[in-house]
Amino acid sequence: MKNNEVLRVEELKKYFPIRKGLAGLFSSRKAEYVRAVDGVSFTVREGENLGFVGESGCGKTTMGRVLLRLTEPTSGKIYCEGIDITSLNRRNLKEQRRRMQMIFQDPHGSLNPRRTVNEILRQSVRIHKLVDGKAEEDSLIKKTLEDVGLAPTDEFWNRYPILLSGGQRQRVGVARVLILRPKLVVADEPISMLDVSVRIGVLELLLAMRDEFGISLVYITHDLATARYICDRIAIMYLGKIVEIGPTEVIYSKPLHPYTQALIAAVPVPDPTVKMQKLPIKGYVPVTGAEASSTCGFYERCPYAMKKHVGEEPPLIEVEPDHYVACFKVK
Amino acid sequence: MALLDVENLKIYYFTQEGPVKAVDDVSFSVNEDETLGLIGESGCGKTTAVFAILRFVTPPGRIVGGKIVFEGRDIITLSDEEMRLLRGKGIAMVFQGAQSALNPVMTVGKQISEVILEHESITKEEAWEKAKKQLELVGIGSARAKNYPHEFSGGMKQRVMVAIATACNPGLLIMDEPVTGLDVIVQRQLLTLTNDLRAKMHLPIIFITHDLSVIAETCDRVAVMYAGKIVEQGNTVSLYKDPMHPYSKALIRSYPSVKGEKRELKSIPGAPPRLINPPSGCRFHPRCEYAMDICRTEEPPLENRNNGRLVACHLIK
Repeated sequence: MKNNEVLRVEELKKYFPIRKGLAGLFSSRKAEYVRAVDGVSFTVREGENLGFVGESGCGKTTMGRVLLRLTEPTSGKIYCEGIDITSLNRRNLKEQRRRMQMIFQDPHGSLNPRRTVNEILRQSVRIHKLVDGKAEEDSLIKKTLEDVGLAPTDEFWNRYPILLSGGQRQRVGVARVLILRPKLVVADEPISMLDVSVRIGVLELLLAMRDEFGISLVYITHDLATARYICDRIAIMYLGKIVEIGPTEVIYSKPLHPYTQALIAAVPVPDPTVKMQKLPIKGYVPVTGAEASSTCGFYERCPYAMKKHVGEEPPLIEVEPDHYVACFKVK
Repeated sequence: MALLDVENLKIYYFTQEGPVKAVDDVSFSVNEDETLGLIGESGCGKTTAVFAILRFVTPPGRIVGGKIVFEGRDIITLSDEEMRLLRGKGIAMVFQGAQSALNPVMTVGKQISEVILEHESITKEEAWEKAKKQLELVGIGSARAKNYPHEFSGGMKQRVMVAIATACNPGLLIMDEPVTGLDVIVQRQLLTLTNDLRAKMHLPIIFITHDLSVIAETCDRVAVMYAGKIVEQGNTVSLYKDPMHPYSKALIRSYPSVKGEKRELKSIPGAPPRLINPPSGCRFHPRCEYAMDICRTEEPPLENRNNGRLVACHLIK
């Protein structure tokens, strides 16, 4: 392990069995699976924001959950600060969870409606026994609320989530994570449910987590524009696999995988003088293939697809320092 | 004269806590062969405003003032029967969330022909043929007319919605957040379809969204709404290049783009107000970096500044 790696993921897989009902029990057909995450490997460095971008159903949310073992992986290894997460027992996992936390998409659904802001944070403090004594707890909570911009803290202290705006709720979600001073945070679409005018405020907060507290972030989103704003590196996912990964500006200025190219061409630009780009690809994302495909998952939609590669899967190869692509076309 | 003229429209929701002024003195117009974008955050009243155009506002909401003149007739004074004839034929709408807007137990072909039969005196067979043509038009293909909504993906369902809305050649099409919740590639396909249809049918459109970049790619003119009011209105290109109202400025400055230089984004402090008790004076003043004393007490009128730009701000003289 390199010293500055916070997270190392090796060949991570998560297959969900497709239930076939009673008849399936007696049939001789092999069990079928949805390959939500299908052999993903990557690393996250210290103080780095890595973005996972893909369309719905590409497996990015499942992957985020598996990273923290909120969902158990089918196979593969996850090392956080060198510790193999996949082999931890419950108690050790709880210990380790303090170091790796999650910010959820829905700030309305992820906060207990019957607890006030200070109680929500106090729960984190107590579960992980961060400090002793009520006074210490109070001052830690107060400090954290200030860190996430919920000041003056008196105003928010005894409020229930229902009395907060979407942006404020998501700040509580961030505070609950930040108070533990984790090394790694997985944020799954943290701003997609927020009003446009408050989104940037929450993104700035996520950037501050990296810059001021050295927290690494795995940012999961379908929104390429915000990913560009806060990520150091971007991984593009398609059908459970990483098809391209590299430094953000390289991915945006010089995308190599045809799918990445299509994604970037498809994003509307907030400038009326820019003409819409033509989409280089056709069709829709297939329903996550139950049948094992041994060809590039993008084959059907790819404008450069070559017959001779049917039956082969393109490996993720390094085309220039730190920039990896899984495509036969790219040499 | 404009095709649609909305004048001083006021829609309040009468709740137990008091009236919520969802749309408060809003005026805008749509001309023939023009796409007007209505942009604003959730709860700013944009959907309520267009619901009024189709008289979909239901209690506790009520249109308490103003006029909506479409092709010379004030919609607010029409009888229910006249209104029924107008919906779908005169003005059609693509609703937000095609997922729940389609009837799950009726084939899509049937749902399209249902609208046609309602407005045109033709046989069922002719209507079915027309429905199939509509499916061709939106790029689904007539072979799928007998499919049910659950057999389509989200983007395809939204196309079906467009097929239904355009089935009777409406005089005006309203699209409420048509691409929200769709993946970028599907979103792009739908935007291309919208632009194609518009070019083919010369269809005036009101396009509602919270997404600045979607407006930039589809609309000729844009109206920016904030807390139940229009704060700025003008030609899309000039408004994006030179926004005058501090809210439009801040909104554009806070919007990330995937193309071009990566520029510094700036957030807008605070959150949109609750409309039950909106701020006094200019409703944006608590979040405005240029707020002056007059902004707290006096509401700025929406005034013509130069070449057709309307702005409601005390700062601009």
